[in-house]
Amino acid sequence: MQVKVIFGEENLTEDVPEDYTIKELLKKLEIPSETVVVKKNEAIVIEEELIQEGDTLEIIKVIFGG
Amino acid sequence: MNTCSKCGNQQIIIQKKHSGQSLCQECFIESINEKVLKDTRKYKLLEKGDKVLMALSGGKDSVVALHILNLLREKNIIDIVAVTIDEGIKGYREKGIEIAKGNTRTLGIEHRVVSFKEYFGRTLDEMMGQDGTRPQGDTEPRHACTYCGVFRRWILNRVAQEEGATKIATGHNLDDETQSILMNYLEGNINNLIRIGPKSESRDERFTVKIKPLREIPEKEIGLYAIAADLNVHLAGCPYVGESFRREIGGFIKELSENHPTIMYSTLRGFDKIKSILKKELTPKGNTGECRRCGEPSAGELCKACSFLEGWE
Ligand SMILES: [Zn+2]
Ligand SMILES: [Zn+2]
Repeated sequence: MQVKVIFGEENLTEDVPEDYTIKELLKKLEIPSETVVVKKNEAIVIEEELIQEGDTLEIIKVIFGG
Repeated sequence: MNTCSKCGNQQIIIQKKHSGQSLCQECFIESINEKVLKDTRKYKLLEKGDKVLMALSGGKDSVVALHILNLLREKNIIDIVAVTIDEGIKGYREKGIEIAKGNTRTLGIEHRVVSFKEYFGRTLDEMMGQDGTRPQGDTEPRHACTYCGVFRRWILNRVAQEEGATKIATGHNLDDETQSILMNYLEGNINNLIRIGPKSESRDERFTVKIKPLREIPEKEIGLYAIAADLNVHLAGCPYVGESFRREIGGFIKELSENHPTIMYSTLRGFDKIKSILKKELTPKGNTGECRRCGEPSAGELCKACSFLEGWE
């Protein structure tokens, strides 16, 4: 299934399997989960949240440097 | 089904691994506000009537601290004046200043922007020279963060005096604090180690007391708070990436935290327990004099800031 991913200036379309979690998506994109906050369809969600077809996921980096 | 531990809301935004607590957006914001205000009382960071100089970079930590301290300002317990220090870092600081201005305007808080240029005659970029490695005339290469830290501390203390502020508040978080404890311990820098704490305790009254209201809040939760409360924060990294040893330690603690989610809390707790004893035994004796160049309190003839400045003249 396809989902939209917004990360900084980037707008991506990602193909992910059924029952995929935010955590798995971050791993796939090689984004350290402890440095970001993720919104699913404009609402903040936890890493364990399941992704559904057509979701828009915004990944907001909140920890820099360090 | 995972629901908010406080109100039962099904939309949770955090699951705290260290406590097992799950929270919805509203309860999370509320819990951080409560925790910070509780710590403020517990460590006696503020007194009624304090005039607080908030060191506001525009980054998430200082903006969140400003908004939470503003809860006390709204109740007429304290007064706040915010200061943003323009170090002169091209392509980075401008945005932070704009955001700092926006936040203070929204809250109706008095705000000053002061610069390295006006106080020291040069920007941090100019200090670091063309190749950004070290100031001209300095034989010993030091990291930009060293100069930046020394000059920022000098300005904060000076502005606090100019404004008649009784406290200086900074946005230091649990990650910063744990890193500092570990770094100073591992480097054997005990003089710096015993100065770490929620509140500075200088015997010299010419130094305004510094407080860290967010000291027990993990950096990640401050980021989450900023997004959850929809605050306008400057989300960017300084082009002068931090000291490499701090970064190494930070990475090490984050890695440890994966399997030991309470490690930062226990590091802080343990340190706070032994600190008073260390301080009693190890605080250097002797009086603090005055810097002959700027008049700020200083152990030596020149304060750190002035010794850099003189070296470059
Ligand atoms: Zn709730
Ligand atoms: Zn001086």
